[in-house]
Amino acid sequence: MSYDITSKTRVTLLGGMAIGILCLALSWFGDDTGMHTRFWSNFLHNSVYFTGIALMACFFMTASITAWAGWYVVFKRVWESMSMFMIVGLVLMGIMALSVYLDWSHLYHWQDLSLINDPSSPEYDPILAGKAGFLNKNFYLFGTFAMIGAWVFIASKIRSLSLAEEKNGADGFNYHYRVRWWAAAFLPIFGFGMAAMVWQWIMSVDAHWYSTLFAWYCGASWFVAMICLTIMILLFLKSQGHFKNVSTEHFHDLGKFLFAISIFWTYLWFSQFMLIWYANVGEETVYFHERMHDYPVLFYGNLIVNFLLPFFVLMRNDTKRKMGSLAFTAGIVFVGHWVDFFLMLKPGILHTAHAMAGHGHGDHGDSHGHGDAAHGAHDAGHGAHGAAEVVLGPAHHGETIFELGYTLPGFLEIGTMVGFLCLFLFFVLNSLSSVSLQSSSDPYIEESVHHHT
Amino acid sequence: MAKHKDIIYGLYNDEEDLLRAVKQAKADHLEIMDVYTPFPIHGLDPILGLSESRLHIAGFIYGSIGTLTAFLGMSWIFTKDWPQIYGGKPHWPVPAFIPITFELTVLFAAIGMVVTFYVVNGLGPGVVNPTIDLRITDDKFCICFDKSEVDASAVESFLRSSGAAEINSKTI
Repeated sequence: MSYDITSKTRVTLLGGMAIGILCLALSWFGDDTGMHTRFWSNFLHNSVYFTGIALMACFFMTASITAWAGWYVVFKRVWESMSMFMIVGLVLMGIMALSVYLDWSHLYHWQDLSLINDPSSPEYDPILAGKAGFLNKNFYLFGTFAMIGAWVFIASKIRSLSLAEEKNGADGFNYHYRVRWWAAAFLPIFGFGMAAMVWQWIMSVDAHWYSTLFAWYCGASWFVAMICLTIMILLFLKSQGHFKNVSTEHFHDLGKFLFAISIFWTYLWFSQFMLIWYANVGEETVYFHERMHDYPVLFYGNLIVNFLLPFFVLMRNDTKRKMGSLAFTAGIVFVGHWVDFFLMLKPGILHTAHAMAGHGHGDHGDSHGHGDAAHGAHDAGHGAHGAAEVVLGPAHHGETIFELGYTLPGFLEIGTMVGFLCLFLFFVLNSLSSVSLQSSSDPYIEESVHHHT
Repeated sequence: MAKHKDIIYGLYNDEEDLLRAVKQAKADHLEIMDVYTPFPIHGLDPILGLSESRLHIAGFIYGSIGTLTAFLGMSWIFTKDWPQIYGGKPHWPVPAFIPITFELTVLFAAIGMVVTFYVVNGLGPGVVNPTIDLRITDDKFCICFDKSEVDASAVESFLRSSGAAEINSKTI
């Protein structure tokens, strides 16, 4: 049985994409900084979020194949289609990487070569100079294209083998063994590649700061978002009368993953936080100090929405099996992890923007409030003022500057997210509509149809 | 301790036979005392009409007690009983409490649930439980009836017709 994207769905999704393009255009033209930082930061935020969701769909599928799991096979086309979104992710992140390479955008502090080229300059930044072998535009461009390219290549191999299996019959276990080979090959490339690209794309907006478990934390965030989207796409397709064999049992297991990986995400979030809080080293603490004091709503809301809500709502057996509570949680947590990425990216980007504005004036003192904010954190990053000042608060403590689109997501951010979400859904539904939704020749299909938790 | 029971039971060779027989017994309104299998069988609980275990509710309560014990205990010790400053942290360092709070939550929930399970089921050191047939821990599937609740001859004909490999009576 095949799915056809209905005209109503198509119009809705295209409308959402139009809103997204409108919001991107408004944030491009409404920006007076010259570097269009609000546009580029929203573009990066959403590109990274949805590319990562596609990547995680491919990861979970390949991990399940490698683990000989069978329960998900009845809806494996959804994950195959979601992972193919990495093609769009390659274009989006490719545009981002080109903008970094050609200096169209300036989101990353390490892009400013005047800080690392001349050791005798008073502006010289030994930390950034030490990281310049990895944090540079060549590596950013190469890594983005090479890594997403490799992921897309394997994802499309797996999908085409799976579709060939559907067309030609199982052929013994021939197709299955080949899929399993590619899945096992994907996992190490995914693991190391994802960590490196997370450092480049996300962690390096705070170029002085680093955390060794950041890639895990970020990956868990993507993973939860991927499960949320899977639940919502499956519920949507079921409401259209498809996927009759996807039962409460499958949703129960997806609910368990949503519950469990939310707790895993919290564990990583807290591990990162507590070690830095305990050690209280200024270079590290500045990251959380800033988020707790300048972004308190998002910082604590992040924990409430992404931990307390799924933890208490999905703790019981029956809330994972009732579509109302499951869809409710999935929808809210999906937005919650989008905000989590917002909080990873925007504070660092705002600093970079302020530092650039300061350079533009030629004198840090001239750029008053903004310059001070950037300056304070900048110095703390160097360790120039020592840890004590960071604990007491950087120079701008008590006079938090509100900037829409950075301190809190504004309408433009939300509209951009709607646009990217509709693009993602349109791509997934469109690639689902050209294939039979349920595999008939996968060796695990019987097990999956009769899945019982 | 327990009153002696006269039972009649059938042993089946396959779980599919057992599931069919249990459905048949329910349809015939024969009161099943219990079913014994070497491994859990999917779909057996709803056919038998067993309600969901309430052990996890007890587990949640024990866990909550553990959370409160750890958190309030540490809060009292570090703010009232023996306030000290470690590593420049305040007297009430909440993030430092969280790992221990988590551990005690798990510990209380786990031990509480094990003890509850043993008490509710009458298990424990020194308790001897009657075993209907040793082979039900190996490869036989057993449906057991209490003779005081059912008509023994009707049960016997039911067991025979539903494909039981053996039919035995016993006092336990």
